[in-house]
Amino acid sequence: MRYLFLALLLWVSFSIGQEISLFPGEPAQLGSWAQVAQALRLYPTSPRPVIYEGPTLLNRLFGEIVLGEGRYTILLGVSPQNEVGLWVDFDEDSRLSAGERAQGTKVTGGIAWSFSLQAKPKGAAPYAYSLQVLWPEGRGYVFLVGGAPRTGFFQDRRVVAIDGDLDGVFGTKGDFFGIDVDGDGKIYAEADGHERFSLAEAFTIGTESFKLTEISGDGLRARVEPTSYVSPKVPLIPGSPAPNFFFRDFLTGQELSLRDLRGRVVLLDFWATWCPPCMASLPEVKKVYEEFHTQGFEIVGISLDESREDLERILKDYGISWLVAFEGKRWDNALANLYRVSQIPTTYLLDKAGTIRFRNMEGEELRKAVVELIGEGIEETSNAQVSTLPTLPAKAEPILEVHLPTEIGLPAGEETAIPVRIANISPYLAEEINFAVEELPAGVELHLPAPFALPAFGERTVTITFFVQPGAPNVFPTPIKLRLDYHYCIAEACFQMTQEAVTTLVLGKTTTRGLRVPWWLLLLLAAGVFISWFLWGKGLVGLSFFLFAIALAAMGFGVYLGQARQAQRIAQVLCTSCVGLAEAHPAQDGLSPELRQAFSSLTKSGHLLLFYTEWCRACPYAKNLLAEIASINPRIFVELVDADLERERAEAAGVIHHGKAVVPAVLVVETQKVLFGTEGLPTRLLAALREIP
Amino acid sequence: MRLRYLRRGSQGLGILFGILGVTGIGMTHVIFPGLHCYACPLSVTICPVGLLQNLVIAGAAPLYLFGVLGVYGMVLGRGWCGWFCPFGTVNDLFAWRKVRFPRVFSPLKFLVLLGTVIAAWRLADTWFCKLCPAASLTASLPYFGLGLAELNTPFLLHMGTLAGSLLGMVVVARFWCRYLCPMGAILAFFNRASFFGLRLSQEKCTRCGLCKAACPMGIEPHREGNSTNCIKCGECVIACPHAALTLGFSSPGARGYATLRLPWPGARSDRVPPSK
Repeated sequence: MRYLFLALLLWVSFSIGQEISLFPGEPAQLGSWAQVAQALRLYPTSPRPVIYEGPTLLNRLFGEIVLGEGRYTILLGVSPQNEVGLWVDFDEDSRLSAGERAQGTKVTGGIAWSFSLQAKPKGAAPYAYSLQVLWPEGRGYVFLVGGAPRTGFFQDRRVVAIDGDLDGVFGTKGDFFGIDVDGDGKIYAEADGHERFSLAEAFTIGTESFKLTEISGDGLRARVEPTSYVSPKVPLIPGSPAPNFFFRDFLTGQELSLRDLRGRVVLLDFWATWCPPCMASLPEVKKVYEEFHTQGFEIVGISLDESREDLERILKDYGISWLVAFEGKRWDNALANLYRVSQIPTTYLLDKAGTIRFRNMEGEELRKAVVELIGEGIEETSNAQVSTLPTLPAKAEPILEVHLPTEIGLPAGEETAIPVRIANISPYLAEEINFAVEELPAGVELHLPAPFALPAFGERTVTITFFVQPGAPNVFPTPIKLRLDYHYCIAEACFQMTQEAVTTLVLGKTTTRGLRVPWWLLLLLAAGVFISWFLWGKGLVGLSFFLFAIALAAMGFGVYLGQARQAQRIAQVLCTSCVGLAEAHPAQDGLSPELRQAFSSLTKSGHLLLFYTEWCRACPYAKNLLAEIASINPRIFVELVDADLERERAEAAGVIHHGKAVVPAVLVVETQKVLFGTEGLPTRLLAALREIP
Repeated sequence: MRLRYLRRGSQGLGILFGILGVTGIGMTHVIFPGLHCYACPLSVTICPVGLLQNLVIAGAAPLYLFGVLGVYGMVLGRGWCGWFCPFGTVNDLFAWRKVRFPRVFSPLKFLVLLGTVIAAWRLADTWFCKLCPAASLTASLPYFGLGLAELNTPFLLHMGTLAGSLLGMVVVARFWCRYLCPMGAILAFFNRASFFGLRLSQEKCTRCGLCKAACPMGIEPHREGNSTNCIKCGECVIACPHAALTLGFSSPGARGYATLRLPWPGARSDRVPPSK
């Protein structure tokens, strides 16, 4: 019986689920969604030692393409003849020979190189990985375009798996697959497509739901198992009925549903007042509305705003009288979720029968489409015209990194200022970064920084000030969430993002490594020295040994507390103003109006790396100065590099001399010129930026 | 004379230790037991005074620094000044005259130390470093030679303090160590209690005053051996014709008492040889 049960169990575990075989596919035949783009940042120094053996280059930028265990250094270089080339360490021998130059073609706004590399997923055979590298001219990053599509069949439905994070390994976060669930022979797997699924997502064919439970690293084998039923994703393609929803009109307070608008041509417009492309298209939309409203054209504007006041003001200013749905939840808007809106502006034009007919129409196109639909009868739903989605260079995802201490000690009755470092890890401008703190305990006041924008790859440290009122209820330690709301735009598409960072508030000061600093050791040492001074030799034997022991203990504690490393870091900084290399500047010294004017009139893009260290006292001045320059001229990108933490980069840039970090130092990436010290830094920087070819 | 050769050798070691950077080992965790600028292109050790100022500015607990200084102090006391410190060696090289300069100025070094700490605390800057002649000699000048420094105000200030100190050294032996060195001031606190020191055999001492004439620090070693101004260099030991003074490691209780509490009855009538 036992064996029978075991056999049954084995049979069940093996028979549930189905192994499917996948084969390399051709992205061109699958659609634009099968090609994923990702920004790859380039650095003036190689992440790994590499020898370059090609022709002389004026300007070099290095990067690394990681495909499983395969790591390929790439070098983007500009020759003295102003030719741009890309070298790829195809054979991974840490040498970039002249023969390893990729063939490039000029495309609008940049250059593209196509080649194939060996992806080496762990535990699977290496495979060829086709990649395209796109360089937007003058920028310090490239876009990698690829995805190694794998196609196969499950229950006669076509399946395509994509390496969405371009890491050469299938089954990792960011990878996705498309499956022709409706069996129409086409896979709709665009960002909001109803046939696109993340690896963990279940899909439904007919009345059965399945899950992809396993995929091999090379993407050639996958396992699909049945799972509990999930309702299929609603198609949002032209020709399919628009999902119905209920909403309350913002202006009149009237309860409505989309179904109520049957018989009218309806434009569903997902927008927000903070989205510049949405605002730019508003006058055109208004013109069409005024022209055709009386003939049966209606607009439902679904606002992704948070601020009721902003929306009211804009509606009044623009004289908007159409229907507006507002939830005040930004991206958590239920209607935006229903329509899987991941970018705005997004519009759907519905015919009189409530069928989606066009997507993302604007201007004259919109007018024509409205005219066409108004002229149609209710029954005519065929001949739907498909307008393609704009291709996105990257998918919407958080672009900021928030560095917050894990624990914040708040002494009662005192103000505590906490530095929070925000880094933009993308090539896009993060706009209107707003801070909010959730779950703040009673009796704690706080002062948050004003909203600001962070340029591509920029960094900024802001201060959040906490104040615990004396006598506040002792509910500490309390976890709190710091929320960052911001948006960013890629070409004509804007994304609203919310990110959270968690920290714990503790009443009283936090201690280093949970160990109290034994100040008494120092007091004991001082007292011993003082006594020995007055003893005039009497009893010094015992005292000397005692003092020696105290000194050893203090030294040991110091080492344990990491002070030896701290001392080393202090000594590694070459204080330029201390040894006469430069004059000291107060951190708040700003630019003169003439220099501001000169920096703002620079027309070439410049990428500046500011090398600094924690213990450098001239660095705050340089940081403020570069931040000011970056804010004046958006063409100038500033990146901060901690020379202590990123020693290799600092060494490669020539910032380390005889083991000492000569900081602040500014590297102009385009010309590889390094400016040391703060002496006349604004003028030298201006001259260096003007030298950029 | 053997003692002098030994000292020259150990001073040489001090210089060698100061320029270990030629080996390319980079900055270590070691605190230098003397005044030696860590901005020097070849230094691999940490200047205690520079570190002290940075820790004061940051408000950090200087356990490691004071622990190491305590250990150094307990081992040699100001013996480091006489036997190891490269800037002390520079003082020796320039010492053409051993003048007895007004003693009243010697506590100036404690004021310099206090001023250094107060300046770091109140002005949040390493003001001592900006004036330090050791930095002028081992960092500013080399960087100027490398073409990195310019003739700006901070550089000229450094050259000014260096010239002033060198001139002082020429006129008064160990001028810097006597009056101004904050590192000497720190080590001075431990001078009495340290294991290395001078011992006086009272029976042998003729109070001839030859040790006093030989002392580069201008003190009277047979009365003030191991005091805050004694750098334990051993010049007095060499000068003593009766071997009344000895230098070495001993229990501090066994020696300091005798030299320091000795009443001063005046020169002995049979003193041999007479003072110069």
